Amino acid sequence: MSQSIINVENITKSVISNDNELSILKGISFNINEGESVAIMGTSGAGKSTMMSLLAGLDLPSSGSISLLGSIISDMDDEQRAKMRSESIGFVFQNFLLIPSLNALQNVTLPMLLRGNEDQEDNERKAKKLLAEVGLSGRETHLPTQLSGGEQQRVALARAFVTQPKVLFADEPTGNLDQKTAKTIVELLFAMNKEQGTTLVLVTHDPELAKRCQRTLIMNAGQCQESA
Amino acid sequence: MKTNKMIISWSWREIWSGQLWPVMVALTLIIACVVALSTLALRVEKVMTNQGRDLLAADLVLRSSNPIPELLVEKAQDAGLTISSQSRFQTMAFSDEKLQLVTVKSVESSYPLRGSLTLRDANQSAKNQVKAGELWLSPRLFSILESKVGDIIAIGDAELPITGVIEEEPELAYNPFNSIPNVFIHSSDLDKTGAIQIGSRVRYRLFINGDPTSLAAFQESYELQPGESWVDQNRESRAVRLMDKAKQYLSLTILMVILMAAVTLILTCLHYVRNRSETVSMLKSMGSSRAWLRTWLTTQVLIMFISAFVVGSTLGLLLEYLLRVPLADILPQELPNVGVQPFLFALGVALCIGLPALLIPLTRLLDAPAINVIQKQSVTYSKTSWWLLLLPFTALVVFYGGNKLVWMVLIGLLVLFVVLAGLSYGFLQLLSKLKWGAAFSLALSRISRSPKNSMMQLAALSGSLMLVALIWLVKSDLLGDWQQTLAPDAPNVFSINISPEQQQNYLQELDKSGLPHSDAFAIIRGRITKIKGQETNELAAYQDPEVRILKREVNFTWMDQLPIYNEVVAGDWTGEKTVSVEQEVAEELGLQIGDTMTFEVNSQPFTATVNSLRAVEWQSLKPNFVFIFSKDAVANLPSTWMVSFRAEEDQTPLVNELARAYPTVTLLDLRTMATKVQSLLRQISWSLTGLAALGVVAGILLIFTLLRLSLSERKREITLYRTLGASKKRISHTLWAEYGLLALSGGFVAAIAAEVILSALMIWGFELSPQWHPSMFIVLPVLAMIVVFVSLRSVIKSLMKPLR
Repeated sequence: MSQSIINVENITKSVISNDNELSILKGISFNINEGESVAIMGTSGAGKSTMMSLLAGLDLPSSGSISLLGSIISDMDDEQRAKMRSESIGFVFQNFLLIPSLNALQNVTLPMLLRGNEDQEDNERKAKKLLAEVGLSGRETHLPTQLSGGEQQRVALARAFVTQPKVLFADEPTGNLDQKTAKTIVELLFAMNKEQGTTLVLVTHDPELAKRCQRTLIMNAGQCQESA
Repeated sequence: MKTNKMIISWSWREIWSGQLWPVMVALTLIIACVVALSTLALRVEKVMTNQGRDLLAADLVLRSSNPIPELLVEKAQDAGLTISSQSRFQTMAFSDEKLQLVTVKSVESSYPLRGSLTLRDANQSAKNQVKAGELWLSPRLFSILESKVGDIIAIGDAELPITGVIEEEPELAYNPFNSIPNVFIHSSDLDKTGAIQIGSRVRYRLFINGDPTSLAAFQESYELQPGESWVDQNRESRAVRLMDKAKQYLSLTILMVILMAAVTLILTCLHYVRNRSETVSMLKSMGSSRAWLRTWLTTQVLIMFISAFVVGSTLGLLLEYLLRVPLADILPQELPNVGVQPFLFALGVALCIGLPALLIPLTRLLDAPAINVIQKQSVTYSKTSWWLLLLPFTALVVFYGGNKLVWMVLIGLLVLFVVLAGLSYGFLQLLSKLKWGAAFSLALSRISRSPKNSMMQLAALSGSLMLVALIWLVKSDLLGDWQQTLAPDAPNVFSINISPEQQQNYLQELDKSGLPHSDAFAIIRGRITKIKGQETNELAAYQDPEVRILKREVNFTWMDQLPIYNEVVAGDWTGEKTVSVEQEVAEELGLQIGDTMTFEVNSQPFTATVNSLRAVEWQSLKPNFVFIFSKDAVANLPSTWMVSFRAEEDQTPLVNELARAYPTVTLLDLRTMATKVQSLLRQISWSLTGLAALGVVAGILLIFTLLRLSLSERKREITLYRTLGASKKRISHTLWAEYGLLALSGGFVAAIAAEVILSALMIWGFELSPQWHPSMFIVLPVLAMIVVFVSLRSVIKSLMKPLR
C-alpha cells in the first residue's frame, strides 16, 4: 500500500489587502500518496498557485497543517524548509526561470551544488545524462538566450529531475509554449516522472494535461474538490 | 574546490552579464584617483620632511634684504652659536662664447651648516666647501656657456676660473619657474664682481646652528628690522603653500570623480537588485540556504573589489606619474618610497563608499522570498545593514570634519543638482508650449507625466555634463591664460641694475641696435613706515598674513606721467609730493585719495600724499609698480634703472654685445624662460588632461548607466506597446525624441551652469578674468546626444522585439 507523502489538514490562507482580510483558501483537506500524479485545476484567482506554494513549503498556511514527507511544514523554520526543498523537491515553472548567466549544463548542476554535492565531476556527469535524456546532447554549453522556449523548458526539466526529488511541483509547465512543443515537454515530464517514480503535483488550466494525471483536484473560490 | 571554482566563474559572468560592470569601473576609478593623489601627496610630504633642515642649510636662518649687522654676528658668536653668512644676487656670467643670467651665491667656507654640498673638481674628487678664488657651476651651465673646468668665466667685473661642478646643494628652491642656474663663489671674492652697489637687489642670509634653547633665546632677543625674517623648518615655505593649493585643486577634481563614481555604483547596484530578485527567489525555491546565497554574493563583491583594486592601483600609479611630470624639476631624482599607505587608503575609501553602496542593496536581495517564483508578493526588506551608511559619514567627519571647503562643495553640489533639475525641467516645459510633431509631443507628454523621475534624470545628466565641462574648461582657461602672458609683441628682455651713470648710454645703445624698448624706470628700494601718521606695525592690516607689503621692501619709481597701460580708477595725477597707488593694495591698506603715507629709503624718511589709484594688469609683462611717485618726492634718492625691450631670435648677438658692454647690468632674458615655461605648460597640460579625462570617464559612465537603467525600467511598458501593435518606427521615434530632448535640455542647462561656475571660479578662485565659451552651448548638447545614442542604441533595438 502506498504511503501518504503530502497530507493537508483543514488549511486556510488569508492575506491582508487594503486593511481587509481576504480569504484565499478556506478549510481544505486532502492527501497525496507517494508516486501519485495529481493535477490542480481551477479558474484564475481560485487559489491554485497559493495551494502549490503551501504544498512546496514556499509559504505557510494561516491555520491547519500540511505534512510533507512526514514533517509538519509550519513547525520548520525558513532554513529547514529550504533544506527539505533542496533534498526532496523539484520545480518546473511556466517561465522556465533558468539563470541567464549559466549555460545549460551549469543550470542543471546548480541544484546539486545547492544540495552540497561538492563533486563537480559527478554533478556534471549526472547533468549531461539528464540533458541527453531531454534531447539536448551537444547543447550543454549554450546559454539560455541561445535556446528556444521549448529547449529552455527541457533544461528546466533536467534541472528538476537531476536530484531525483521525491516530489515534483510543476506550475503551468506548458503555459509559455506552442502546442507542438508543449506536447513534447508533457511526454518528457511524464516519462521522467514514471522512470524516477516521483510524486507529481501539477498546476494547470489544460484539461488534457490534467487527464494525464491519476487524480485531479478542482479549486473554486477557496475550496477544493476531488474531480470524479 | 571545484564547486568554488564554479561559483567564482558564475560570479564573474554575473558581474558582466548582470550589468554589474559599471560598479567595477566606478570602483576602479575611485581607487585610481585616491592612489594617485595620496601617493603624490605622500611623496611630496616626505621630500619636504626629509629635506627639512637640509633645505634650509641650517637650524635657523635670518633672511634680510640688508647686509647682516656685524653686531648681530658677534652676538650670535657670544651666545655660542655657529654661524655662516651668504649673499646672493643675480647677474650675468660670461664665457668666451656665451652669456647667461645666474644666481651667484657667495658663501663662507663653513657653508652649509646642515645638508650636504658636494662639489666635484677636475680630478673628480669630491669637495664639501667653497674656498677663495673658486668658482663652482651648476651642471647645465657648462653646456649653456659652452665651457669646461679651467675656463675663465666673468661674473660681473670679476674673472674666475671654473673649479668644478655642483653635484648636490642644499637650499633648493621649490619654484618650477626658477630657470636661473646657480654658481658658488667665496665671500672674499664678492667685492671683485662689482655687482653690489646701492639699490641693487642683493639678498643676505645668516645661517645659525645651535641647541634649540640657545636658538630660541637668540631669536627672542633680536628684534627683526624691516626687510628681515626668520626661517626655520616649521615655517611653511612658499613651496609648501603652492603644493597645498595644487593639492586642493586636485582634491576637488578627484572628489567630483569619486562622487560621480559613487552615484554610478549606487544606481547600478539598485538596478542589479531589482533584476536579480527573481533569480534569488528561484534559488531559494530550489532550496538554497541564506548562507549559500551570502557566499555567492560575497564572492561577487570580492571579485569586484579585488579586480578594481588591482586595475585601479595600476592606473593610479600611472596617473601619479603623469601628475608628477611637471614637478620633475623640483623633486629629487630618487623619490622616497611611499610604501603601502596610499593603497591602504584607497582601499579604505573604496570600502567606505563601496560597502554601503553594494551591501545594503545586496542584503535586501537576500530578503527576496522564495514564493515570488510562483506569486509576486510585496516584500518588507530588513534594514539591518543600513548602519553601513555610517561608514562614509564617519570617514567624512573624521577626515574632513574641519575642512569647510569639502562640506561647502558637497552641499553646493546638492543644491546645484536641485537647481539644475528645476532649470532643465523648466526648459522642457517651455519646449512643450511649442507646436511639435507626433513623436516629440508624445515624448514631451511622457516626460511631463513623471516629473520626479524626469527631474532626477535631468539633474544627473546636466550635473555630470557640467562637471565634465568644468574640469575641462578650468584646465583650458588656466592654460590659455598662462599662454597669453607670452604675447607675441610683449617685451622679452628686462635690463635691471642699470646705474644712473649708465642709463643714458644704455638707452642710446638700445636705440642704435634697433631694439624697441620701454622708457627707463628708476628703481628705488624702500618700505612703508606710516599710513596717515600711524606706524605700520600698529595697523590692523599688519597682522593679516595675506598683506605682506607692509613687512617687506618694495620697488618704488617716479614718473612725469602715469603709464598709459595703467587705468586711473580714482583721483588725478596732479599735485606735489604725491604718490599713485595700485588699487588692490590701496584697498588692502584702506587708503583713500588725500591720505598721507611715510616711506623710508636707506633710512631716509619722506612723506607723500595719495593722489590717484590705478588698475594694474600684472600678467602683461609690462613694467608695473605698486607705488609711482611724483618726481619731486623721490628723485633725489639713490636709485638704479630698469628698461625692458623686445629682441627677436636673430637679435641675440646684439643682446650679447649689450651684456658684455655692461657686465654689471642684469639681463632677465625671458626668451629662455619662455621655452622653460612652454615645456612646463605642456607637462601641466598633460597632467590636467589626464585628470580631466578621468572626470570625463566618470561623468560619461554615470550618464551611460543612468540612461540604460532608465530605459530598462520601462522595458515592460515599451514591449507592451510593441505587442499591442505600435509600429517600430513610432516607438523608436518617440523614444529617441524623449531621450534626445532630455539630452538637449540637460546639455543646454549644463552649459549655462558650467559658464556661471567657471566665471565664479576664475574671478574668486584663480583671480583671472572670466571668458565666455559659446561653443559649449553646442558641444555639451551634442556630447549628451552622442552619449545618449551610444548608450541606448542596443537597448532600444532589443526593446523592439514583441513580448513573448
